[in-house]
Order: sequence, then C-alpha cells, then structure tokens
Amino acid sequence: MTTREFDGIRLERVREHVWEIPREGEMRVPARVLASESLLERIGDDKTLKQLTNATHLPGMTGRAICMPDGHQGYGFPVGGVGATDAENGCISPGAVGYDINCGVRMMKTNLTYDDVRGREEELVESLFANVPSGLGGGGIVDGDLPTVEAVLDRGVDWALEEGWAVPADLEHCEDEGRRPDADPDAVSQKAKDRGKNQLGSLGSGNHFLEVQRVTDVYRDDVADAYGLEPDQIVVLIHCGSRGLGHQTCTDYLRKIEQRHDDLLGALPDKELAAAPAGSELAEAYYGAMCACINFAWVNRQLIMHRTRQVFERVFDRSWESMDMQLLYDVAHNIAKKEVHEVDGAERELYVHRKGATRAFPAGHPEVPAAYRDVGQPIIIPGSMGAGSYVLRGGEASMDLTFGSTAHGAGRLMSRTQAKQEFWGETVQDELRDQQQVYVKAQSGATVAEEAPGVYKDVDEVVRVSDELGIGDKVARTYPVCNIKG
Amino acid sequence: MSFELCPHTADVAVASHGESLGESFAAAADGLAAATCEEVPKTGERFSLTVRAEGREALLFDYLDRLIYERDVRGVLPVDNEATVREADGEWAVEASARGVPLGVIAARDVKAVTYSEMRVERVDDGWETYVVLDV
Repeated sequence: MTTREFDGIRLERVREHVWEIPREGEMRVPARVLASESLLERIGDDKTLKQLTNATHLPGMTGRAICMPDGHQGYGFPVGGVGATDAENGCISPGAVGYDINCGVRMMKTNLTYDDVRGREEELVESLFANVPSGLGGGGIVDGDLPTVEAVLDRGVDWALEEGWAVPADLEHCEDEGRRPDADPDAVSQKAKDRGKNQLGSLGSGNHFLEVQRVTDVYRDDVADAYGLEPDQIVVLIHCGSRGLGHQTCTDYLRKIEQRHDDLLGALPDKELAAAPAGSELAEAYYGAMCACINFAWVNRQLIMHRTRQVFERVFDRSWESMDMQLLYDVAHNIAKKEVHEVDGAERELYVHRKGATRAFPAGHPEVPAAYRDVGQPIIIPGSMGAGSYVLRGGEASMDLTFGSTAHGAGRLMSRTQAKQEFWGETVQDELRDQQQVYVKAQSGATVAEEAPGVYKDVDEVVRVSDELGIGDKVARTYPVCNIKG
Repeated sequence: MSFELCPHTADVAVASHGESLGESFAAAADGLAAATCEEVPKTGERFSLTVRAEGREALLFDYLDRLIYERDVRGVLPVDNEATVREADGEWAVEASARGVPLGVIAARDVKAVTYSEMRVERVDDGWETYVVLDV
C-alpha cells in the first residue's frame, strides 16, 4: 500500500486521487483527501491535514471528513472541507461554515462575443468599477435601513423581485429559488443588521471580484447547450458573500456557543470548531440565522448582477434583455444545509457543512433546479485573474464520495504577507493587460498583489481531479477579460 | 508595544507584544489596522469603548470584534489604539480608545473577522504577547 506522511499524519492511498487518514485516537471517523500527487504535496505544506483530522472530532460526524482538491489551511475547519453531521444526534458548527456565510459565485450569460467587447475593455472596466461598490466603506447599491435588511433576510431574492432588482428567471436559476425557507431574521443580532445596512450590494475585498470573461473551451457539448454556453461568448462572474452581516452572525454564535456549550467545546481540539448540539436552542437559532444570511448573500450578488446589466446597457447602448443577460446559476461555497443522504444503506438527515466547497448534485437529483435536472447542477469554479475559470456539472460519483460536493476554486498557495513581498500591484496589472489582455481595476494595489495569479494553485489540476473522480465534470472553461476588485 | 503581521495561507496573523496586557491588546489592534491599510493619514477623531468578557482570550476576541464593528458602522479605521485591561471577580474588561480615520480617505481592504484559531495570550519575561489569526 502506498502511504504518505506529513507532520506525523499518515495517509493511505485508496485509489487514484483518493487518500485516507485512518481513524485513530479521538477521531470519530476517518478523513479523506481527494487530490493528485502534486496537489497533495501542496495540501501537506501547511496545517490543512491537522485541521481536517480535528474536524473528525465533531459530534455526529458521519462517513468521513473530506478535503477537496483545492483544500488549504483555514481557521478551525480547513478551506475545501466537507463534513456531514447527524441532524438529530450530531451538531452544527458555525466554524465549519466560516465567517462569510454563503460566500459564493454566480455566472451571468450574455449573447455578446469577445469581438463585441474587444477594444472597449477600458471603458467597461472603468464603468463597472465606478458603479459596483467595492472595498471598505464604499457603501452598497441599495441604501438599506433596518426594515429593508430584515425583508432581505426573510425573503431573499423574492425581495429583489418585488423591488425591481430581479426578474422571475433569476429565481428559477438560483438554488432554492433564491430564498431559504428556514431563515429567521430575529435570530440575527442588531449588531449584524447594523453592519449590513450600508453593505447591501457590495463586493467587499480580499479574493472577491467581478469579472467579465469569455468562453474559451467547451468540453461537453450537450451540457453546454443546456447551460446556454458556447465558445467566444461573453459571461460575467460575481464572487462575494454576506459581507459584515454574515461575518458578525458567525462571530456572535461562536461566542454564544462558547459560553453555553463549553463542555462540548472543551472536548474539541480547536475552539474555532465551536458547535451547538443538534436540537439545542442555539443549533436551531444558528441555523435560522445562517439561512437568513444565505438570503442576504443571494440578494447581494443579485443586486450586483442587476447593476452590471445596467452598466452593460450604458456601455453597449442596448437593453440588457437584447443582450440576453441571464443568470446561469448561483452556487454557495460557505454553507451548512440539512440534506438527506444515504449512509450505510439508510437515508439520514445530515447537516452538510461545505466550507470552501461547492454542492455538486448530479442529473436527476430532485434538488437540482428543473432547468438543469436532466444534465446536473452547474458548478462555477473561479480561477485567478490570470487563469481560466471553469463551469462544471454535478458528477455521478459525488453523492457516494463527497456528500454531493466538489471544489470551490484554485485554492491559495502563498500567504498574503509573502505575496506583497513577491508582487507589486501595478506591475501585476500592467503585465496582465499587456501580455494577457486582462484589464484589472482595484481599490487597493495591495489587493492586486495579494491576489496575483502566482499565489494560487493550478486551477486546471484541481478541475482535472474533480473531473476524473466524477464529482464535478468539466463543461466549459472561461478566461478573464476585465476584473474589478476591492 | 509592537506587532508583526505573520504569514498564513489564506488569512493574516498578528503577533503583538506589550509591557502590560493592555499594551499587547492595543498592539494587536494596531496590527488589525495594518492588515487593513498600509498608509494612514493623521486625520480622524478619537473615540472610546469598553468591552467586557469572561476571560483574557475572550476579551481579546471581543475587543477586536468590536473594533471591526465600529469600523463598519462608524465608517472609520481605528488606529493609534490605546487599551487598559482590568479583572475583577472573574470579569475582564478592556477600556480602550482609538483614532478613527474616515474610510473615504484611505485605500483599505476588508478584514472580515477575528478568529480563535491558534489564539494565544501569554505572559512573557518582559510583558505580554498575543497571537491572533484574522479572517481576510
């Protein structure tokens, strides 16, 4: 048997791209890493494997704790981590969701081609940057008051539809039709709502961005047809989350859990894994608050998408409907959801935590929107500013291997502090424009340096592993044209 | 008092030192500001805050969380932090102040939250040290 060891953690090779950390000590279940040899080397470089084995200590952990091919060190639970806990006798962990609840990605299609945009990139990137709030303190597209925030938390994209920021087709192409039915706005603190009021419709900063892209490759014609994607087509990718409102909600519940369930916390190897026992008052309250934050994040991305339609109207002097600017899909990659999965031959309701991992349900699954049920759920995997992004579809093997999940991006390779020593923001921007025809505009040069293409893993390799494992199948590849960030 | 920004694959860590516990907290808060913005002008009004918690680590967590909240709600970056920590009957309190630099005059990035991951608050020979990972 082939084995590898990193910092005292031994992995056994099960088959190609599948590595298992056997159960030992206080681990409740084994852990698995889904990675090629080269990705495993990177994953073994930091504390990812330690955090993954820590995650197996969560009460009610079922099957295995799993690290996706883009996994890397986070806080508490690793980024790229999937953990399913029993919804009746287990727990729900805010730390295993992350601070940016429903951080995610959506892709909007157009009927424009690269030729329609070429030569107008500067105008487009300037206009997007001027009209889509980004960075810190830039406000939001909607000037929110408390009733607005509470309506968004309660009704999600239904609110946006009522207010003229969405059309019915947007809801039909979003998970849960853009509204989590379990949302409880009253479980979200006043502090969190205060932070959300002036951030509704804003990108934020860090690795969040809006990117105009062109489709460069199509790998599965039938699925690409169903998704409405073809070579040379212009699409828009939006990556952001629930902003300060979501961050505050996670913080609030971590502290409440620490104070009320310190016995459970004391048995866990990392305080950041703080978990509320299933069925407890705090578990119910956190789930309701998290679902409300999911609604907030969907509306956040919806507002940015609709504003982008308006920017395109001005730049191209045509209505957005005539440019067929339709939502392809919206995926969350920091989330916990109650889902029913088959475990040891029996159906069980689980809290599936995906932290830096994307749901990847295959064709035929009843929770895939009707528009895509015959081909599988779209999955959007953003790459760096200098690399391609991918559209995948939920793979047949995902339900058995990963509780219906796959990767969420390229995965970081280099720390932000090192990135600022290695790269200079203006140089990165100049090189991307002059050598790769990618136009970037950011609030802060430091953000560009921290997000330089060289700080990320090889997204092609991440997607190759996902495709070969059959958890998320390659459908199309896109390449950046314009990028704005905070 | 002093701080250092330390490498972390996805986020940023701050290591701080102070002769007193309060100074080490204030230095961690200055590290939070440095992780947000490189160049800070000399503008902005000072404001005060008091935070209470059940222990030293919880107090550092809540203090930095409060500064992030004030940043978002007041629209200012808290810099030049000063802090005094006291403990009475098992309750810990930090009385602090900061200069709030309007976000509109700086190029700043979002630090999302403070985490407990790898957090340390330790007495050392010449004072106190803290270590905290910030979610970026």
